[in-house]
Amino acid sequence: MLQIDNLHVAVAGKEILKGLSLSIAAGEVHAIMGPNGSGKSTLSYGLAGREGYEITGGSIRYRGEDLAAMAPEERAAKGVFLAMQYPVEIPGVTTMNFLKTALNAQKRARAEKEIDALGVLRLVREKAKALHISEEMLKRALNVGFSGGEKKRLEILQLALFEPALAILDETDSGLDIDALKVVADGVNAMRSPERAMLIITHYQRLLNYIVPDRVHVLYAGRIIKEGGKELAHELEAKGYAEIIREAA
Amino acid sequence: MSALALPNRRVEDWKYTDLRNAVDAEAVEAAGTATWSVSLSGAVEQNVLPEIMPYGRHGEMGSVAASHAASGLFLRVGKGEQGTAHLSLSQDGHGRVLIIVEDGAALILRETAAPDGFVNVAFDVVLGNGAHLEHVRQTERNEAVRVRDYSLRLAQSATYRAHFADFGAKLSRTELHIALEGEGAQAHLSGVSVLGEAGHADVTTRITHAVGNTQSTQLFKIIAGGKSRGVYQGKISVAEGANGSDSRQTAKGLLLGERAEIDLKPELEILADDVKCAHGAAVGDLDPESLFYLRSRGVAEAEARALLMRAFLEDAVAEVADETIRAEVWSRVEAALAELSE
Repeated sequence: MLQIDNLHVAVAGKEILKGLSLSIAAGEVHAIMGPNGSGKSTLSYGLAGREGYEITGGSIRYRGEDLAAMAPEERAAKGVFLAMQYPVEIPGVTTMNFLKTALNAQKRARAEKEIDALGVLRLVREKAKALHISEEMLKRALNVGFSGGEKKRLEILQLALFEPALAILDETDSGLDIDALKVVADGVNAMRSPERAMLIITHYQRLLNYIVPDRVHVLYAGRIIKEGGKELAHELEAKGYAEIIREAA
Repeated sequence: MSALALPNRRVEDWKYTDLRNAVDAEAVEAAGTATWSVSLSGAVEQNVLPEIMPYGRHGEMGSVAASHAASGLFLRVGKGEQGTAHLSLSQDGHGRVLIIVEDGAALILRETAAPDGFVNVAFDVVLGNGAHLEHVRQTERNEAVRVRDYSLRLAQSATYRAHFADFGAKLSRTELHIALEGEGAQAHLSGVSVLGEAGHADVTTRITHAVGNTQSTQLFKIIAGGKSRGVYQGKISVAEGANGSDSRQTAKGLLLGERAEIDLKPELEILADDVKCAHGAAVGDLDPESLFYLRSRGVAEAEARALLMRAFLEDAVAEVADETIRAEVWSRVEAALAELSE
């Protein structure tokens, strides 16, 4: 599904990712763990195609295509979804209208039939329930005045609605209390499927107790320095990043 | 005959709107009299202008219109009556309009269309006790030079709600001189200017809280692309002793290019002690984070830009109370935004 090979990404002329390689097959859930400043957000933005994240070397192949050559909207239409660490507040656009616009924009780009307002409403309601997202929340302006937990749940609602082939979850656990974390993790787990790949980017091991990964990669200074199964997350929690970094050096 | 001294950028009130540069003084002097096609419903009476006009403060060009228009339009809604009037300017030139909404009466006033030439109209509006005027003006994008100078006087508990949707002209100046003369009088102004190419739109408001317990709100949004220029100047004066006055003034601009310009100038002059006045003005560009967020969810760039621009204007257009008129304003605004996001 996703092959990242020797990826170099620079932000404002400064190289942040320095030869990152990673491969995820359909049906797998991988976790990337790393301390602050290791390049986690740069990786997620680079995959989603944010302006200013310049690929200076290496390649990103998604289903055999060059992901880096695609505009962000093209990536979304082809099934790449990034749940952001800091979802943006957009006053003047209701959440429901945003969901409808985005869903149909993706469908249009794939030459699929668009869904009418009522159909989207039904679909959203059905998915929103499991995530404890109220009607009232959907009527509010996108993310405006939402709590941290509400914002993250809305990201997961989009995951459920768009049904992407590749989901990247950037620090989805940050700012969540334990109950909200469980709701979000249940939402993500419900989306696990043999056709779908997921990349969970996180600083802490906590989220991985609820969304159990197949593979864990440790990111440090722009490179993967260690890989392992789910037990690596526990090892990290026990030893701390400093110890693992020392061992890998 | 000596030519008129047209207001130009050296005159403080016309700093951002140089009329002298846009039209010849001779042409202004020689311009004919404007006419309208008028459609009325309900209890609105149409008459010729009376000999004696009510006094209302006007700007330079309002006075020129008053002295140059050979005839004019007079609309009246009698005590406690209701009606609607739709004015569509059919002939350019100097014009004069008098509107009287008597005690307890209500009028919905719509203005649309504008010929391509020189237009200079002075409006005098008098609202009686408890009278209500809902005013929406929507002008088409063209190469006209148009100045509209509205002078309004509001008696006790009268309400004036106005929305100005402007899509630019060679020069477009809207001047509002509003006097809140009776307790409980309120003026709620809003507007959107969506400008591209070399379009220009200037909204200049002068609101006087002459007595206490009066209220005014203003919410103006300007989007300027191309080489266009959008202007908002608003001065609020609270007279001595006009305690309990409440005024809010917000003007925001969205600049789409380096060659476009937006000038926002809110001003306050407060001579009373116990008043609430809030004002804010800010110019920015489309937020790149919002744009990326929408694009990352599959919304194509042009559509995302149009969506964000629409969102920027949302609260100002929402001020149009009538649902049907609001929908019309939106459809015109959306067409203008689509052109700007191409």
